[in-house]
Amino acid sequence: MNTRVDHGNSVTQSLAQIGACGLFLLRILAAIPLSLRHVRETVRQLWFVGAMSLTIIMVCGLFVGMVLGLQLYHVLAIFGGTSASGSVVALAIYRELGPVVTALLFAGRAGTSMTAEIGLMRATDQIAAMEMMAVDPIAYVATPRFLAGLIAMPLLCCVFCAMGIFGGHLVGVNWLGVDNGTFWSNMTSSVDVWQDVINGVIWKSTAFGAVVSLIAVFQGYTTPPTSEGVAYATTRTVVASSIAILSLDFVLTAFLM
Amino acid sequence: MTDAVHAKPDDRTLVRIRGLTTVLNGKTVFNALDLDIPRGKVTAIMGPSGTGKTTLLKHITGQMRGDAGEVRVDGLNVSELARDELFALRERIGYLFQNSALLTDFDVFENVAFPLRQHTKLPEVLIRNIVLTKLQAVGLRGAAPLLPSELSGGMARRVALARAIVFDPMLILYDEPFVGLDPIALNQVLKLIRTLNETLGITSVLVAHELEAIKHVADHIYLIANGKIVAQGDPNTIASDGSSWTRQVLGGEADGPVPFQYPAGDYAQALGFKQGAA
Repeated sequence: MNTRVDHGNSVTQSLAQIGACGLFLLRILAAIPLSLRHVRETVRQLWFVGAMSLTIIMVCGLFVGMVLGLQLYHVLAIFGGTSASGSVVALAIYRELGPVVTALLFAGRAGTSMTAEIGLMRATDQIAAMEMMAVDPIAYVATPRFLAGLIAMPLLCCVFCAMGIFGGHLVGVNWLGVDNGTFWSNMTSSVDVWQDVINGVIWKSTAFGAVVSLIAVFQGYTTPPTSEGVAYATTRTVVASSIAILSLDFVLTAFLM
Repeated sequence: MTDAVHAKPDDRTLVRIRGLTTVLNGKTVFNALDLDIPRGKVTAIMGPSGTGKTTLLKHITGQMRGDAGEVRVDGLNVSELARDELFALRERIGYLFQNSALLTDFDVFENVAFPLRQHTKLPEVLIRNIVLTKLQAVGLRGAAPLLPSELSGGMARRVALARAIVFDPMLILYDEPFVGLDPIALNQVLKLIRTLNETLGITSVLVAHELEAIKHVADHIYLIANGKIVAQGDPNTIASDGSSWTRQVLGGEADGPVPFQYPAGDYAQALGFKQGAA
């Protein structure tokens, strides 16, 4: 009986969190005009969450592409279809792996730091100090970070995809001997710019960027101002972002296809 | 000495609190509190820890709202103000936080310049001059390029003070301004509070425990305990007051109307020296 009650409570709390997160999104969007006064802060955050994430995105993209090229080559070799490895690598990366893995990496690298930073700002009264200086912390702290995530994610995803295809090429062509011309021509003939690049890379990663940034900023902004609270909020950012990314990926794929 | 405030409203009152009742987590912090802060004076709020002194400052600035009663600042009912109106009021209020609350991403100069950059379009030269003037006043002009992490607690507090006065506000609220200051800095801060009050006519509200320091600077003291004002008057009156409240709070006695021990069960029983111990 108690278990049932606890489950009920946790479901209610989860729904309340989602509702609060939705209202928080409205506050962030409403603060966009005001946050345009803080363009420098948005650019600073873009540098922090975007440029500073480049290394991990490039390295991971390279290795994902390399392992994909390696696995696909051996599977396709069974059917004598290794020449298709270029197109399969590209489609897998553009449609799914690029946006999803970039978003997961972004949540781990940039999302957690956003949560921890805002949580510590709250714990050390910096948010309250802004309120006392008549500066709206939503416009100065939350919205610039949200916008930075929204802008950075598609760009990072493009970099990830480029590095992934480069990795697939490195393994398939340079190492395993797939013909260079076949690799590229099969890829260009099978990849549709609208379906795969615009829908797969741009729209998906923009949606993931919005979701991850929203969760990260919300968790940081609403965390209890204690070290334990910040730690839990950081963990919740990763867990909630991962679940949101993967479930949203299914929904977006179903609609975009 | 009176047990309640009977001040009549007049134009000389900048902050007027009437019937303020606040209950937090089931505990009554303020019970129909009446309190007046006169314009152009330095008023000190004293009382035992946890009695709601900082909470009172939060009510004055609209960070918190009471369950009943009203708080008026310069004639404005704080709890009824819209967000824009509240922010407009806060631009005229300086607030010194207990833990300084400096923005850790910015250096000392930028921390002090922050309100100016947010609310004015002053030329950079003027911003620089204002900031350096304020930093000079708190003795930290040379620390302008340092980050908050490079400052001691006392220095951080002085930077926060420079930031609080950067707009020459009508009202400054100091939350524990003397904690962590060495004797030299303490003396300078006391002088600064007095100077700001005398030269610019800034109204100051101090929340502090240090009676000796307060004596040098405050015009009026309120002693708060158990959600209401238990004593008030000028520093000499308060210091010579013989009531049990003032004796205990200012004399630091463990026994008196304010219990030192948090409510708990029988001590001997808790230690297992009596039957029925858990």
